[in-house]
Amino acid sequence: MLSIRSITKRFGGFTALDEVSLEISPGECFGLLGPNGAGKTTLMSLIAGLRKPDGGMISPGKSGARASLGLVPQNVALYTDLTAGQNLEIFGKLQGLRGATLRERVGEALEAVQLSERRKDVVKTFSGGMQRRLNLAAALLHRPGLLLCDEPTVGVDPQSRNAIFDYLGQLNRDGLTIIYSTHYMEEAARLCSRIGIIDHGKILALGTLDELLALLPFEDEIIFPNTSETKLFAERMAPHGKLVSENGAQYRFFPQLKLSEFYRRAEELNLPARLFAQQRPTLEAVFLHLTGRTLRDTK
Amino acid sequence: MSIILTLLRKEYLIFKCDRAAFALTFLVPALMIYIFGMVFGINRADTGPRGIPLAVVNECDNPAARHLVDVLRAEKGFRIITTTTPDGGAERELEAGDLKPLMRDNVFRFAIVIPSNLIETSSPGVNLKLLSNPRNEIETQTVNGLLQKCIFSNVPQLLGQSMQASMKSMLGGAGKDKFNRNIAGAISESFGVNESEVLRELEAGNFGFDRMTSRDGDAADGGKTKKGNPLGELIKIENEQVVGKDVKSPAAARNVGAWAVMFLLFSVSHLAITLFEEKRAGLLQRLMSSSVRPSHVLWSKFLFGVLLGLVQLMALFCAGRLLYGLDIVSHFGQLLLMSAAAAGACAGFGMLIASIARTSAAAGFLTTLLVMLMSCLGGAWVPVSFMPEVVQKISVFTIPYWVIEGFMQVFWEGGSLARLAPTVGVLCGITLAAMSVAWWRFKRGTIFEP
Repeated sequence: MLSIRSITKRFGGFTALDEVSLEISPGECFGLLGPNGAGKTTLMSLIAGLRKPDGGMISPGKSGARASLGLVPQNVALYTDLTAGQNLEIFGKLQGLRGATLRERVGEALEAVQLSERRKDVVKTFSGGMQRRLNLAAALLHRPGLLLCDEPTVGVDPQSRNAIFDYLGQLNRDGLTIIYSTHYMEEAARLCSRIGIIDHGKILALGTLDELLALLPFEDEIIFPNTSETKLFAERMAPHGKLVSENGAQYRFFPQLKLSEFYRRAEELNLPARLFAQQRPTLEAVFLHLTGRTLRDTK
Repeated sequence: MSIILTLLRKEYLIFKCDRAAFALTFLVPALMIYIFGMVFGINRADTGPRGIPLAVVNECDNPAARHLVDVLRAEKGFRIITTTTPDGGAERELEAGDLKPLMRDNVFRFAIVIPSNLIETSSPGVNLKLLSNPRNEIETQTVNGLLQKCIFSNVPQLLGQSMQASMKSMLGGAGKDKFNRNIAGAISESFGVNESEVLRELEAGNFGFDRMTSRDGDAADGGKTKKGNPLGELIKIENEQVVGKDVKSPAAARNVGAWAVMFLLFSVSHLAITLFEEKRAGLLQRLMSSSVRPSHVLWSKFLFGVLLGLVQLMALFCAGRLLYGLDIVSHFGQLLLMSAAAAGACAGFGMLIASIARTSAAAGFLTTLLVMLMSCLGGAWVPVSFMPEVVQKISVFTIPYWVIEGFMQVFWEGGSLARLAPTVGVLCGITLAAMSVAWWRFKRGTIFEP
């Protein structure tokens, strides 16, 4: 079990992490959801032993964690002038693998991220998605017990993202503990069994997706465009729920009145039902509820 | 047009934000102009070489010989050495026998011996002996030019005295006096000047040769006077090359090491700068999360720098052999040792730059500035002896100075391993100091933080 107790990290006068506590169980896939600058990467670097906390404790400590830890950094941390095979051989050797074991693990890793055929190709000729997949493979060569993924899908095409998710899902089912940081709520919701929402260096909420959604005082979410026709309606609805304008393009409304009443009032203003998209609230709504901001606003 | 103006403004804004580019465009050239101006003596009233050590052994008790020493001493291009302090002994006057060992030890590279037979008595003429270690071609030519100037300004009197002595030897004292009186009488009668004054001048050896020496010439070219100069036949300078006689390709031996060190500094420094790229790419973060420690990264960079530098130097010397016949075989062990020491110092310098700079741009800027500066001050471009004395003192604090010195010891002097030891020791000291500071800076810095 990974235990993080009251971890605090400051950079000068700025508090990046403020008394953060977490318990990660073996085999768990834990999501760390928050906007950029929330403290996700700082927490990852503390768990990886790359930084020292100013307060609190992480157990197991730096030396104990390193041997069984794999880190997928936010950047594509590869030697792009070398081939995929050469990169994995270097990282494998640095993790203590040698000879036949090394060759076998490199082959397995390339196979797992569907890059076997590109083994002898120079990494800089790869697409962004392929580089991200190789970035992930490099962290898994030594079969770590804990995998830290720090926003590993930034700038990745949907196909590669799916391939990464499938692979991580498989690894987690095989017993690998994963801590996955992201600012994409869809990723956290899809991949993680438990999610911690972090903002301004504090864990605001922690639990399964259902537990987090249960924090919301409303059950529905309605999205409609921000136009001259809907503006008056939005103003009238504001006192009857939580209304958020997203980039001036659309409204996100969490009604605290019955849906039938909502649509009746829309009809009074001759607004057709097709303007309104109704959905179950997402983690975005949870974040909004907890912080008063959307994840997108804070990126 | 507005698109071009917009893009133009964009270029300006980007340029303005890039401090390194700004510095490289304006500050570095201005600084370099200032430093090179200082080195080459631009705007200095008295340009030219300064303080080239010249040993002088005067074995002649003729006043004219002492006058010649005074003339040499007055020449700013020379720093006259007339004494030596043997190991454990007291300072004493230099003797001719001291010169060659001291020249082999590079205490000085030029020596002039004024022999007891400075003035010929059997036939008119002046004898001098010049010993040289022409390890630097430009310096050697300059020294010859300066010697020519000094000797020729002093020669008329010497020559006149020589003629008087020759006459005395051939005609006897009375015959010589009669000859002088006859000549003085004829001059007095022809030109209406005072006969006794002319007689006194003739007896002092003043035959008016100074008018002959005012003609252009470079008679002291290695001790051989220029054809057409009437004095050339009369001034006999015995020239002896003490060091480097057997060097097969003197020019290559002098220059290849100097060229190599500058490129070595650039290439090895660039290697250290890749640390910043590795940090930006997250590679250092990935490495640090495994069993790799900062010391592993730094030492691997340093050692690769040393190996790369060693291979680069050997490749350049091989090219020197193929192109110019540079002899790299005769002293291969010394060359290898010296190359390793040079590569170590350059790699240490690269690590130092990487530890001081905060960004790769700043590191690149610092590298360009310091490598050019050190190459210039260290004598990679022009001999150190051509620089003002204060700059010459600064030169010894540069890596190129010691690298060039070491390669000259190998190629020019064929120095033994023991002879190379001090130079190699200095370079190892530089390496150690640079790496210590770099390690201290890296420990305090943020390069290994995510």
